[in-house]
Amino acid sequence: MKRVALRGLRARPLRTALTALAVVLGVAMIAGTYILTDTINRSFVDVFAQASSGTDVAIVPEKVDEDFFSDPPPLDQRLLRQVSKVDGVDSASGAIFGSVSIRKPDGTPVANESFVSALQPAPFEQFRFVEGRAPRAEDEIGLDQATFDDHGFKLGDRVKIVGEQGARSLELVGAARFGDISSPAGLPVAITTLPTAQSLSGREGELDGISVSAADGLSPALLRGRVRGALRGEPVAVRTGSEDAAAQAADLEEDFGFLRTALLVFGGIALFVGAFVIYNTFSITVAQRTRELALLRMIGATRRQVLRSVVLEAAVIGLIASLLGLLGGLALVPALRGLLGAIGAELPSTASVIATRTIVVALLVGVVVTVIASLVPALRATRIAPIAALRDGLTAAPRAGRARLVIALLLCVAGAVVVAIGLLGDASAGSAAATLGAGSVAVFLGVALFSPQLVRPIASIVGAPMERLAGVSGRLARENATRNPARTAVTAAALMVGVALVVFVTIFAAGLQGSIDRAVDRAFAGDLTVGAKSGFGETPPAVAAAVRRVQGVGAVSSVRFTEGRIAKEKSTTQVVGIDPRTIARTYKLRWKQGSDRTLARLGTDGILADTGYSKSARIGDRVPMLTPAGKRVTYVIRGLLDEGSEFGLLGGGLVIPNERLAADFDATDDAFVFLRYAPGADGAQVRDAIDRTLAQSFPDAQTRDREQVKEQQAGQINQVLYLIYALLALSLIVSLFGIVNTLALSIFERTRELGLLRAVGMSRRQVKRIVRLEAVITSLIGALLGLVLGVLFALAISRPLEADGFRLTFPVGTLVALVIGAALAGMLASLWPARRAARLDVLRALAYE
Amino acid sequence: MLHGMTAPTIVSTTDLHRRYGEGPAAVDALAGVSVDIARGAFTAIMGASGSGKSTLMHLMAGLDTPTGGSVRLDGVEIADLDDKRLTELRRDRVGFVFQAFNLLPVLTAEENLVLPLTIAGRKPDAAWLESLIEAVGLGDRRTHRPSELSGGQQQRVAIARALVSKPAVVFADEPTGNLDSNASAEVLDLLRRAVDEFEQTVVMVTHDASAAAYADRLIVLADGRVAHDTVAGSADEILDVMKAVGP
Repeated sequence: MKRVALRGLRARPLRTALTALAVVLGVAMIAGTYILTDTINRSFVDVFAQASSGTDVAIVPEKVDEDFFSDPPPLDQRLLRQVSKVDGVDSASGAIFGSVSIRKPDGTPVANESFVSALQPAPFEQFRFVEGRAPRAEDEIGLDQATFDDHGFKLGDRVKIVGEQGARSLELVGAARFGDISSPAGLPVAITTLPTAQSLSGREGELDGISVSAADGLSPALLRGRVRGALRGEPVAVRTGSEDAAAQAADLEEDFGFLRTALLVFGGIALFVGAFVIYNTFSITVAQRTRELALLRMIGATRRQVLRSVVLEAAVIGLIASLLGLLGGLALVPALRGLLGAIGAELPSTASVIATRTIVVALLVGVVVTVIASLVPALRATRIAPIAALRDGLTAAPRAGRARLVIALLLCVAGAVVVAIGLLGDASAGSAAATLGAGSVAVFLGVALFSPQLVRPIASIVGAPMERLAGVSGRLARENATRNPARTAVTAAALMVGVALVVFVTIFAAGLQGSIDRAVDRAFAGDLTVGAKSGFGETPPAVAAAVRRVQGVGAVSSVRFTEGRIAKEKSTTQVVGIDPRTIARTYKLRWKQGSDRTLARLGTDGILADTGYSKSARIGDRVPMLTPAGKRVTYVIRGLLDEGSEFGLLGGGLVIPNERLAADFDATDDAFVFLRYAPGADGAQVRDAIDRTLAQSFPDAQTRDREQVKEQQAGQINQVLYLIYALLALSLIVSLFGIVNTLALSIFERTRELGLLRAVGMSRRQVKRIVRLEAVITSLIGALLGLVLGVLFALAISRPLEADGFRLTFPVGTLVALVIGAALAGMLASLWPARRAARLDVLRALAYE
Repeated sequence: MLHGMTAPTIVSTTDLHRRYGEGPAAVDALAGVSVDIARGAFTAIMGASGSGKSTLMHLMAGLDTPTGGSVRLDGVEIADLDDKRLTELRRDRVGFVFQAFNLLPVLTAEENLVLPLTIAGRKPDAAWLESLIEAVGLGDRRTHRPSELSGGQQQRVAIARALVSKPAVVFADEPTGNLDSNASAEVLDLLRRAVDEFEQTVVMVTHDASAAAYADRLIVLADGRVAHDTVAGSADEILDVMKAVGP
């Protein structure tokens, strides 16, 4: 029996390959994700290890709160002297590692993210200069060798670095390797003296860390204890060098966990769709092999032997798919990296890491998914009566049993309930997402089970114009599609999943866009904003100051974002910083209780609370908070805003004057700077003047008017949207393979029939048309089902968000384009099967047994 | 192995009925058939289309369930058996040859030949296998796939397979239906030899009088009943019998 199964696979290599392909893409995505994240992880871990290889004890700022995004406040430089005096310390040095932008000779940034590192004395410094020398003076700079080589720098060039304080031009004196490699994790690093580094990253008098080496014979652990004692009471964490490397690696692992999970989910979707295709393929091949299987039963094979034979086939196909998927995953890694790079996530590129875990998961997943998908057809195979070996003719299409419909409805209802729980429940983001996912899977399965009922009606609707246009070909295409509704439905269902998800995110993004547009229109009372070019970044306070000095500028108002921790709250609270004196002139605040006059009465501890923060907040409430700077403060609510219910730019948390943010939160960078022209000023001229000022000293900042602000938000949304499209494309491709597979198999099945048609006079072109139209009908069924499901999902999710001002909009044009695209994709999928059908030799086809 | 080893009847049916459908539209394929198939004999079953001959064989082989009456094969009451036992019965004690599509296309002739044993997890006795292959004349074709064999050769492989587990009875359903006269003769010779040399029992359904002439006994069915049950004579005599039975 084993031999029969394996020989069978070998005898039809093309069919086996096509079936395996359904799962290959899903496995490739999963393998690729693991390889990518493992590789990134490893390269960073290597960097951390290398960086602390000369350090026996490392002193870093203590985390203020586990959940804060912002870094804790840097160390005070005076700690360095204290540490040096500890018994057993051989040498100690301050470290700076900050974000800057390194400019190429032509002015464009070398990368999305670059860094500046302060030169440290031996044994701490890991950069070794291989060309030129290390920087000694305050206006000298070194670069990592990779950046130096890649961008045509020469020793003696003046390199522009844009940091906190604006742009500086430094003389390039050397290129260095980081340990053994030409750059740490592929990231560009500028190397300067400590004071220069401090000034570039805005940390005058401060340090990001202190590296300490122990005297001969003293263990790092012992020294750590002594240093801890000496620094008791300071907001620092003291670790040995290796502990520090490990701690950084652990933090990184946490950050990447989210990314990895997100990518794995898309891989899972591709596998889910692949399972549909496997199920369908096996259903068809089992039906086609009825006589063969009946013969085996006739000769004495038991049901279990037949079951094992089919499952073995599935396992072998799954294994092939897993192996190919692993290779595919490797090939996918650069593509994934490119995709993520396109939305601004700069990831290092080093040799790929293929962990054992990745191989095991790939093998398991491929085999398990294929076997599970093949179970129902395998069970069906066992029910073939031996006597079927003696009967001729095609098996009749199985009728939809009552049981099947009931299960379908139950699945849909259960799935919908689970989705509702996920949306309206109070669980954390992670488990809510998982609940939503499980519910959606159930709904998809339920609809797929129910869909055979819908095939005939939809095919008639879609087929009627086809018949009109394509005559008998159209008619036959429709008949073929409805001949075995279950088969057509499952093929269409595979497409339905991908289309539903695409429709869902499209509608959601459109709604998001619309809500944001409305919010901007409502509140934007100024003329321009000044913000970071990248849209996610911040500008130093010097930018607002510079803008204020430009002739023709009337009101300038900064807005900042940070966070705080309020005791007993599950998550951190969003904090928006405003300038109470100027905000009302550039932004129309939406008040729940209070008015613009309240702003003048905020005093030293007054703040505003938005409905997004708490619906039960009242004026006079005291709010005690822990800030990212480590300070404990208490504010008093003096007014209530209603920004949050309309996607307001300032909504979602507490609104606090910028002076307090600077003093208590250490937050001095601006997210936006709103400005208004002075009365009577020429807007275009003033804007030009501002643009010139920025280009000169703050090349990372940019002016935007209201429309451009909306465009920028749209741009950000679209970036993520296209990323999701690209990731979903995988699933769509799998479902197209499914259509190819089903068509090829059914053409094989209908060989005699097609021979008859050709003998009776149908041309090759007409035969091709039949196949093509069948594919179009199938994909349109899938697209329409997907459209309806996607809309339903969008409606479902918009309910709980309505309170936040989210309104659903239907981008009809895009949706219509999607449906047309599906039809075209169906045509594409039918190209090869159609050609095969047309090439049938008439006589051989008729003689086909 | 006590069952019916030496009994003269190897398969017997008692008042066998097989009805398809219900109510006024029902069709009685068999309307009360009682026959005894003798051990070690070559029995031919003939009849016009719709006479029930194939149905009778299916029921005798345990491939179908009667709506009335019973079947006893090699001492076993078939109706008592569950699917597993029935499957074992087919594997070990019954051999099948049909008109077409007897062989698995992905296996060689030899692999097809020993398939029942492979399924049972048993190895064939080498000497027995060799003599069987020789007897059917396929010594130089053993590694060929069915697509590389002529119709007659395929049928011979099928017969060899039917014989490989030394079954109690071999059922052949129109074994020469797709063959030309030469190949037919070869196949029928083989079946005859199976009975004469290997002491097999063969039950053959056919519509061809010259094929039935190879048999020892002739059963003719008409309208679901036995119309004739005698010694099989020459082809001409058989034709006369058929004419007498009617269209």
